[in-house]
Amino acid sequence: MSHTNESGFETDEQLTDEQLFGHLAEDDIVSLSRRERFERILDAYFLAPGRVAWDDWRTRIGILVVTLFVFFGTIGPRLVTPPATNQAPNNLQPFDGGVAALWEEGGWIDIGVDHQLSMGPISVPGIDIRYPLGADNYGTPIGRNLIHATPDMLEMVVAGAIVSVGLAAIFGITAGYKGGKTDEFLMYITDIVMTMPGLPLLIVIVAIWSPRQAWLIGVVLAIDAWPGLARALRSQVLTLREESYVEASRTMGLPSRTILARDISPQLMPYILINFANAGRQVVFGSVALYFLGVLPLTTANWGIMMDTAYSEAHALVNLSNFYQIFWPMAAVVVLSFGLILFAQGMDRVFNPRIRARHAKKVGSDEEQIN
Amino acid sequence: MTRTETELEITHDDRSSHDVILEVRDVDVTFDMERGTSRVLDGVRFDVHRDEMLGIVGESGSGKSMFASALLNAVVDPGQTSGEIIYHPPDGEPVDVLSLSESQLERFRWEEISMVFQGAMSSFNPTMKIREHFEETIRAHGEDIEERMEHGWQLLADLYLDPERVFDSYPHELSGGMKQRTLIALSLILEPKVLVMDEPTAALDLLMQRSIMSLLGNLQEEYDLTIVFITHDLPLVAGLADRLAVMYAFEFVEYGPSEQVIRDAAHPYTRALLKSVPSVDASLEDMHPIEGESPDPVDAPSGCSYHPRCPLATVECTQADPDYHEFSEERGAACFHWEQSGDEIEYALGVDPDEFPESTAAFESEEETVVSLDDVDVHFEQTGLIDELFGKESVVRAVNDVSIELRENEVVALVGESGCGKTTLGKTVIGLQEPTAGSVSYRGQDVWEAKAGSGDYEFDDIRRALQIVHQDPGSSLNSSRTVRASLSAPLKRWRPDLGPSDRETVIYNLLKRVGMKPPEDYAARFPHQLSGGEKQRVVLVRALLMSPDLILADEAVSALDVSLRVEMMDLMLDLQEMFDTSYLFISHDFSNARYLTEKSDGRIGIMYLGNLVEIGPAQEIIHDPKHPYTKVLRWATPPLDPDEAKEANATDPPIREIDIPDPTDPPSGCPFQTRCPDAREVCTREVPELQDTEGAARVACFREDDDHEYWASEPVESDTVSLKTESKAD
Ligand code: SF4
Ligand code: SF4
Repeated sequence: MSHTNESGFETDEQLTDEQLFGHLAEDDIVSLSRRERFERILDAYFLAPGRVAWDDWRTRIGILVVTLFVFFGTIGPRLVTPPATNQAPNNLQPFDGGVAALWEEGGWIDIGVDHQLSMGPISVPGIDIRYPLGADNYGTPIGRNLIHATPDMLEMVVAGAIVSVGLAAIFGITAGYKGGKTDEFLMYITDIVMTMPGLPLLIVIVAIWSPRQAWLIGVVLAIDAWPGLARALRSQVLTLREESYVEASRTMGLPSRTILARDISPQLMPYILINFANAGRQVVFGSVALYFLGVLPLTTANWGIMMDTAYSEAHALVNLSNFYQIFWPMAAVVVLSFGLILFAQGMDRVFNPRIRARHAKKVGSDEEQIN
Repeated sequence: MTRTETELEITHDDRSSHDVILEVRDVDVTFDMERGTSRVLDGVRFDVHRDEMLGIVGESGSGKSMFASALLNAVVDPGQTSGEIIYHPPDGEPVDVLSLSESQLERFRWEEISMVFQGAMSSFNPTMKIREHFEETIRAHGEDIEERMEHGWQLLADLYLDPERVFDSYPHELSGGMKQRTLIALSLILEPKVLVMDEPTAALDLLMQRSIMSLLGNLQEEYDLTIVFITHDLPLVAGLADRLAVMYAFEFVEYGPSEQVIRDAAHPYTRALLKSVPSVDASLEDMHPIEGESPDPVDAPSGCSYHPRCPLATVECTQADPDYHEFSEERGAACFHWEQSGDEIEYALGVDPDEFPESTAAFESEEETVVSLDDVDVHFEQTGLIDELFGKESVVRAVNDVSIELRENEVVALVGESGCGKTTLGKTVIGLQEPTAGSVSYRGQDVWEAKAGSGDYEFDDIRRALQIVHQDPGSSLNSSRTVRASLSAPLKRWRPDLGPSDRETVIYNLLKRVGMKPPEDYAARFPHQLSGGEKQRVVLVRALLMSPDLILADEAVSALDVSLRVEMMDLMLDLQEMFDTSYLFISHDFSNARYLTEKSDGRIGIMYLGNLVEIGPAQEIIHDPKHPYTKVLRWATPPLDPDEAKEANATDPPIREIDIPDPTDPPSGCPFQTRCPDAREVCTREVPELQDTEGAARVACFREDDDHEYWASEPVESDTVSLKTESKAD
């Protein structure tokens, strides 16, 4: 049996292709409507990941916390009256009036027809809430303060995380994939930055050139996180680029950016996201700590400033009846950082094809192969 | 005509009531998984005889490794083992292995039964010298170090290693074959009675596999060992094992003396397996894949587990699980219809090797050359910082002065041991690896000039024309993309004129073409939802969608199960016709190379240490090898036919040393000079060039030239390795 050119195709290459694909396209033509394609894309990129994420309680909590944070950071301040001193009695306890406030007039909550709660443009009749989290030494309501500090914090966290992870991704992935001189140069810079001491340097920078915009503070706070991540990403890319499927893509002549986007990045995504969350936490912790210490200029609202006030003005750690003043901002920090971690872990699952396949609508059979 | 029992019942010698060393009774191994209980050993009943070499053959996923672990009560958590495994020591009371305590097991595992796994590389601690590994083991068992180390010394010598050198080496300083042999010696250091080996040679080269097999035979005799050898490679054990047991779907379907099992297998699965195994001697027309797939351990088929694939299956088979039909005390098969299997599934062992048809495929083929290599060298510098400090420079000559032409619609197989540069050469051919000297041209255009932008051809066209199929189906697909997405990529890049519907049509039809039905379902799957064979088919389709002129198939079938290899190779040839392409098939396995090339009138090239030492039509290379190295490879490829296998086992390998020289320090003169049994003084000085021979093959050896000074030169002292002698002179 000979497999030499018996197939009857002409030797002209292009014609052969036409014939071949013509032949292949002839039987059982599949027609794909725009709608079907749209649905497929929707399912693959949004619905399936969404289902995966929602399927796990940890991710659900993570998403909830992150959504709340974003919500308070964007719309929140518009709904809540800006805080000011002496809006409330000094050192007003949280949930003033206790449970009894539910049915008694006064206290932190009032229910009844003649009450109404106005949140910016929205007003809710029948209920009114007054300073549920209490107020600080100067009569500034803590709840309002917390919410009005969120936009700056959000800006800080997002800017810091994006810049540090972005830098790391650009440096690490380019160095790993390109290799050679580019790699050497980029890693040289990375190593230099890596050897700089993070916190002390930061304090010096801030002292000399006190940044006023929230995003700038975020960037400065996260700036020392990227070299480590860049190194880690580079070494992962180095292994990935030797994978057979990457070589196959190269052999197919796919452009580098396609290979990076399709073949390499998805494998790095879980890692990048975890680091994104970590960078976010670092910014939260860093800013709170530095404000608390009074290193950063008091130009933006921050939970750290609240803690500082609680500590130094209300002696919240000594005078335990004022402890709530430091407790609320601390709780906000803890919940946010916990939520970020859960969120990142959940995203790890979203990028795992095994789990995703189980949730995709279009995959017919779900058996895993045992080899 | 049906068989009768007496025909199969061959009178056996008086050892009839065998001394049993291990009794396996109704052993189950189960794993609780999310989707149900996975039963990976299903009521196995079996006896291992004292002082025998037992070959256990099965495809991956048949439960053979579980059997090995169960014998040592070493099933990993959360696996549950139940049943009884009774060990009869030469003197003393029988013990039930499954009821031993942890500390008893620890002693038992080295002193009574010991085990060698496939991954020798990871069995050693990289920071400890080999000597320390030995000493540590001895110490842990409270034995006399001096006496035992002497024994270890002897064992290493028996395995053709230089004990002194090995003891003083770190694991990474040894080659794979050496490590594996060292591991065998280590496992025998406490003189166990039974040695269980799970695919111990699978990661090694043919020649090394064969040598280890022969050495095992010696060890067995010398130290009164019982060896249980587990493998997927039927021809490898067929000639050496005393008995064979075939596993399918988590139980033994047939067992018996190996010659009887090979010659006249009774179980339909064994027969089908024998038919599907690519070997060097069976006729090509007789090789057929087994239809269907191995069963899932979670819900194995009811009744006989082979019934979905068995051509003889009847209603009875789907309802009841067949018991062993025992032809004799030592021969049994679990099948209701064993009488008919002989007629229904025929297979022939071995064709007469002298009668191969003269290769008519004229070497001067009319076809146009697609890719040609001229005097190509690929050298890698391996100079690390440390080496530089010491002024040591090591260059690996992966490819050395190779010229080769690949024509349209041709299949060329490159065969060689690992590290011989065949993959590097392959990548150079398809323009993935830049040669350090010489030129690679595609249809007359230098590939690397085109890449630099100075050529008549667009580099894009060249890139498109030369494609690759990798060895490991697991890593050649992007795990996070569906089959559809993976297959669309080449079409999007090269056929922008096709709309989404056309793309879909082409992909679906091709998937159907390669037997993946229904295509809509397969297209939406992720790689982890495909079996190894299916992944490899997707990879092949992806390469073909580029409509390339040449595909480099780098060990493309080696990772597949034996019974699937023939099917995959048939598919490759089938699609070759359709897509008008050539293959450069790289393999360490002579049998696979032979199947693919002989079926398509292709050529085989033999590589050794970066050199092409022989190339010619497949038939000629297989049946009339000329280069001494090709002869060695041929020796290392075991035939299936028991007579021939016996004959092959009786001959020593035509070679002077088992291990390959260090590729950073290749020998002077002929590269094969250090191991060649015919080497003469001139071979150590001069390098032979490829030259024409009487046949169509071209060979790089002085012996092909009748007037060469070789014939007047002094032979170098020539002791071939002797794997047969009982004791070896040190
Ligand atoms: S019992 Fe039936 S199905 Fe099983 S191997 Fe025998 S004939 Fe085939
Ligand atoms: S040239 Fe000499 S050493 Fe090389 S293969 Fe021929 S006989 Fe052997």
